Amino acid sequence: MSFVRPDPVVLALRDPAAMPGLSLPQWETLVRQARRTSLLPRVALTLDNLGLLQQVPPAPRIHLEAARTLAQAQAEAVRREVAFIDRALAATGVPVVLLKGAAYLVAGLSAARGRMFSDIDILVPQGALANVEATLLLHGWHTIKTTAYDQRYYRRWMHELPPLRHISRQTVLDVHHAILPITARLKPDSAKLLAASRPVAGEPRLRVLAPVDMVLHSATHLFCNEDVGNSLRDLADLDSLLREFASEESFWPRLTVRAGELDLTRPLYYALRYAVRLLDTPVPDRVLGAAEIGRPPTLVRGLMDALFLRTLQPNPASNGVASLARGSLYVRAHWLRMPPLLLAQHLAVKALRREEQKAG
Amino acid sequence: MIVADLSPQELLRRLGGAGLRLRTGPVLNRIQSRLPKIAHGVALHYADHAVEDSAGFADFHVRVAPPRSLRRWMNPQVHFQFDGARPFLPLPADQAFPILEWGLNWCVSSHCHQYLIVHAASVEKSGLALLLPGPPGSGKSTLCAGLVSRGWRLLSDELTLLDLGTGRVVPLPRPVSLKNASIDAIRRFSPGAVLSPPVHDTVKGSVAHMKPPTESVHRATETARPRWIVLPRYECGAAPRLAPLSRARAFMHLADHAFNYDVHGRRGFELLAQVVAGSDCFDFQYGALEDTIAVFDDAARRV
Amino acid sequence: MSSLPALRWRSMPTDAIAWREWDGEFVVRNERTGSTHLLGPLAGSVLQILLEGNGALSIADISAALGDHPAATAAPDRCAAIDAVLSEFKRLGLAEPDPR
Repeated sequence: MSFVRPDPVVLALRDPAAMPGLSLPQWETLVRQARRTSLLPRVALTLDNLGLLQQVPPAPRIHLEAARTLAQAQAEAVRREVAFIDRALAATGVPVVLLKGAAYLVAGLSAARGRMFSDIDILVPQGALANVEATLLLHGWHTIKTTAYDQRYYRRWMHELPPLRHISRQTVLDVHHAILPITARLKPDSAKLLAASRPVAGEPRLRVLAPVDMVLHSATHLFCNEDVGNSLRDLADLDSLLREFASEESFWPRLTVRAGELDLTRPLYYALRYAVRLLDTPVPDRVLGAAEIGRPPTLVRGLMDALFLRTLQPNPASNGVASLARGSLYVRAHWLRMPPLLLAQHLAVKALRREEQKAG
Repeated sequence: MIVADLSPQELLRRLGGAGLRLRTGPVLNRIQSRLPKIAHGVALHYADHAVEDSAGFADFHVRVAPPRSLRRWMNPQVHFQFDGARPFLPLPADQAFPILEWGLNWCVSSHCHQYLIVHAASVEKSGLALLLPGPPGSGKSTLCAGLVSRGWRLLSDELTLLDLGTGRVVPLPRPVSLKNASIDAIRRFSPGAVLSPPVHDTVKGSVAHMKPPTESVHRATETARPRWIVLPRYECGAAPRLAPLSRARAFMHLADHAFNYDVHGRRGFELLAQVVAGSDCFDFQYGALEDTIAVFDDAARRV
Repeated sequence: MSSLPALRWRSMPTDAIAWREWDGEFVVRNERTGSTHLLGPLAGSVLQILLEGNGALSIADISAALGDHPAATAAPDRCAAIDAVLSEFKRLGLAEPDPR
């Protein structure tokens, strides 16, 4: 099995101690790749935690520190926003489960450190969706996607309300009722996720997914999502989560069992495979063995290796092969989420609208 | 070595190949483009700017190129690329140099969070900085171009960089962008100014750039202490009028016109407070450039 | 009128509020909301009083603390003016009624 030589940013995550020895041109490539993959603040923090940041030459160090400043500001903004969302939804009594970055931050996980944040994602029971939407609209959120097509796409076919933007704060909130669309081929049961969710220390109402579910959600998001641009960042999240939860009792056996319960053995297989190979995530062999149940046919796996490893390579120089790979992944991610007929229709409409926007 | 030291062939070779590594104040840009308009624009406006070799660290890699589609033959366009990504929609090909300038601005305002960056022109005299924050159309670039033609040093036309530690303005001497009537106004006011040919029908109207004075480029490492904050308002035919502006309102203007005030949180608040506390603040209405110089020279003398 | 005379108010904690005053006008940054505001003389003085105050204050307390402050004496209905400021503070998240 051949794997592509890791890029500087991957090496920075795996072997930060080697960083201060880099030449300026090597730093130039690393900063560009890290910026492209939203990992610049994470690299900064990794070096800082090891006391190595001051050994970085001044010119690249400025970028690391600037990115860290930006990430800190984003984290503060997320905290504030979570407080607003919590206050707005408090009276509904609906259990609100934070997902992804906001969850990592509020739960104090290491995955939040040096992370870039954008939208906030929450998970609520499907039955509470109407109530949640109405309450949010009352508190100043409004829907961004206003065409009838988009509304249908999100509500009927996807697993979320159309994205909501707050009218004065301009922050974006994605309200999910499942972690994959109703129409997807994989069928993880949201009720199970909600039932296993945990409270957050110091917060009366906010909740986060159980550790195994957080990992599975991250894996699903990485390998089944449209937005493949942030793939390496998502893999880095996964790496952080796995390292942190490894010390929780029976985390590993529960992870593989849970993947089976939620019909997510395929994403888990890929997640562990690429985390181990690219980021050296310490995963016990028996766990990798148990995850084999999610392994695809060898031919498919070879193709996926080529696709994902090229995608996970952040190569900033625009590279025909890389963009082809990214394009194929986009189609694959959609395929996993929507039946082919709907998919073709959706992609055609999306392509048409891009043209309209260009012409307008 | 500066751009003027390169032969036209060498300039083209670098731009068309591994990139021209051009220093603009604290920022080193690697610029790639095969477009003649870019080579001409760079040769004209950046003649005095230093060129560096590839052993150093470039902050931003940018490229101006036509898109890869059939459109390049029918209706030529250009893209600005930053590390392979395209933050803007494409523009008509004759706007190649303006899109480079706007793109370089975008690189700084989006990433240089080591500074608090205000959307303002700034000029210097006797080590003191005059800040001209204002929305497009307020006349800040025209006023800036006028002042630097009459003895003030250009610190920046669009992006005023404030050092978070010292509160001083860090120069970013780059071409001054002029629009519509300002182009002729500056030509009349300063016949010796080096202006690019205007590009028409941009989203901002007709656009031209004025080469930064050589001295401002040479003195790019000399910072300046903010001393005056002036909100310009151009009104055709109006008599010049400098009216005091409260410090609190000047503070709010700076915060409103800062690209990354929110990124700096409490620190940004403290910095702007420091800048405002040490400055005299004014609203300035003017109708003719000729009137303005005396007003500001006078203020500089009285310090 | 949004508050009863006996209602008491407290500002956000002092470490959450940064402010400066020049010539009677105030700029204020609220860490909780991330927003920055411009306050006129009366509003700024009321905020100062709340920040310095030990515990929650009523409109009467605030009025007494303002004393001969020109912005307060200039207002035709002093208490109504303070009340309007407090309502605005509530909206902006700078102060809130004390639940007790």
